[in-house]
Amino acid sequence: MNWVLFRRQLADRIAFLGAALATLFGLVFLFWILWTTFSNGVEALGPKLFTQMTPPPGADGGLLNALFGSAVMILVAIVVGTPIGLCAGTFLAEHGRNTRLAAAVRFVNDILLSAPSIVLGLFIYELIVVPMGHFSGFAGGLALALILIPVVVRTSDESLRLIPDRMREAAFALGLPRWKVSLQVLFNAAMSGIITGVLLGVARISGETAPLLFTALNNQFWSSDLNAPLANLPVVIFQYAMSPYKEWQSLAWAGALVLTVFVLALNLTVRLFARRRSFK
Amino acid sequence: MINLAAPTDKKSGDVQGPQQTKVDISGLNFFYGKNQALHSVTLPIPANAVTAIIGPSGCGKSTLLRTINRIYELYPDQRAEGEISIDGQNILGKVDLANLRRRVGMVFQKPTPFASSIRANVGFALSYYEKLAKWQLDERIEDALKQAALWDEVKDKLDQSALSLSGGQQQRLCIARTIAVKPDVVLFDEPTSALDPISTARIEELIDELRGRYTIVIVTHNMQQAARVSDKTAFFHLGELIEFDDTLHIFTNPSAPKTQDYITGRYG
Repeated sequence: MNWVLFRRQLADRIAFLGAALATLFGLVFLFWILWTTFSNGVEALGPKLFTQMTPPPGADGGLLNALFGSAVMILVAIVVGTPIGLCAGTFLAEHGRNTRLAAAVRFVNDILLSAPSIVLGLFIYELIVVPMGHFSGFAGGLALALILIPVVVRTSDESLRLIPDRMREAAFALGLPRWKVSLQVLFNAAMSGIITGVLLGVARISGETAPLLFTALNNQFWSSDLNAPLANLPVVIFQYAMSPYKEWQSLAWAGALVLTVFVLALNLTVRLFARRRSFK
Repeated sequence: MINLAAPTDKKSGDVQGPQQTKVDISGLNFFYGKNQALHSVTLPIPANAVTAIIGPSGCGKSTLLRTINRIYELYPDQRAEGEISIDGQNILGKVDLANLRRRVGMVFQKPTPFASSIRANVGFALSYYEKLAKWQLDERIEDALKQAALWDEVKDKLDQSALSLSGGQQQRLCIARTIAVKPDVVLFDEPTSALDPISTARIEELIDELRGRYTIVIVTHNMQQAARVSDKTAFFHLGELIEFDDTLHIFTNPSAPKTQDYITGRYG
């Protein structure tokens, strides 16, 4: 056999084996985590989880108030963060485009995108919790919004810039003003990208624990008051998982499972949206 | 020689005679940054006729078209000097751009339907300019689609996405969208270069039907097309206007040797 050919084939096999092993290595941990979460969480799964409040130690209960609190704060984050992020993204892609200001904003936004969430939590703590004198669900929602905004800015900027210039020319050639072009032509064309961005942002904030510790804290009881401490899934998981009580630990696992399934479902939805995202 | 039979069967009689100038271009220079793309172009475009602009690639024919509705201004490093008057008003001066672009519509090389329904595509600019009741709007949309010879194909699916149409249909939709706001001038920038022969023929028929109602300027790299659809033809070379005359004249007996070379296919 040809020696050169043999050597090449050997190198090919080794490279393939290395890549396959590395992939397998990563996948093993992913599925291990998923399996552990699933097998531990499935025990506490049941209708009680979604109908009862977080219990005191030793008692039976569910996670209703935590799930509700999390949903409320995520909603606050979406309502506050999406318009701001979308406007900033529109400025970057349409109005500023090649200006120095836009380049600077893009750079700062990228820093914000990777800022440790605990720092953002502390920022809101200083800005809102300290002056108000108490923790609140509102502060928690704002802290989450701060994490959401850079994600929305980035994705809306990018999906707007993906729209070919001839689309803009066509709209402007009809004599429409810039705001109308952005609002009705470009947002329409970039819609799936923008929604993808918001969903990815939501997936990101739904598991955030650190910023909520300084802002919403926690609440063992049912509360829908945004001006008071609010229960939420990540902090409850954190608290219950660290506790010595068996019931609390199993509730923490169940919460982790619910959270994982939620994020997984969001990612699948994003995939569906992203598939529609194409230009001829 | 190229096919010269086409222009002769046209009723060239009704395009002769005294003609008003609609778009009067004089001493127009155009710059892409430091590159000059047009050199003191003077071209009186007649009203309610079809004027074709031909020439080899990069001769500035699209550039010329893009100055007439000032769409070039979307790009900060492009500028135009000189004068273009439409109905006596110099549009390179201070004008309301929205109003100018409503009067001067443009159809582009590639079909650019907006990502919304067929109805919304046509009604979009219309409802911005005019306060119309729902039935009036529907009537105007129908009217525009009929003028663009698209009505029969889409009347049952007006609320479907415009992106579901074929390329040729999309281009006719863009034409409908443009004429819906009742412009005086319609600019066509190589409107058929992305279409198949059958769709091309339909667009050419359509341009023929629009003749007389609008002042039409069409840029094309297809000389037969210019010969088929236009009344007047302007030949450009390297950013300069070489010759402007009746289409029949340009294609049968051009005055400038460069025009002769181009239409006989010696270059370009």
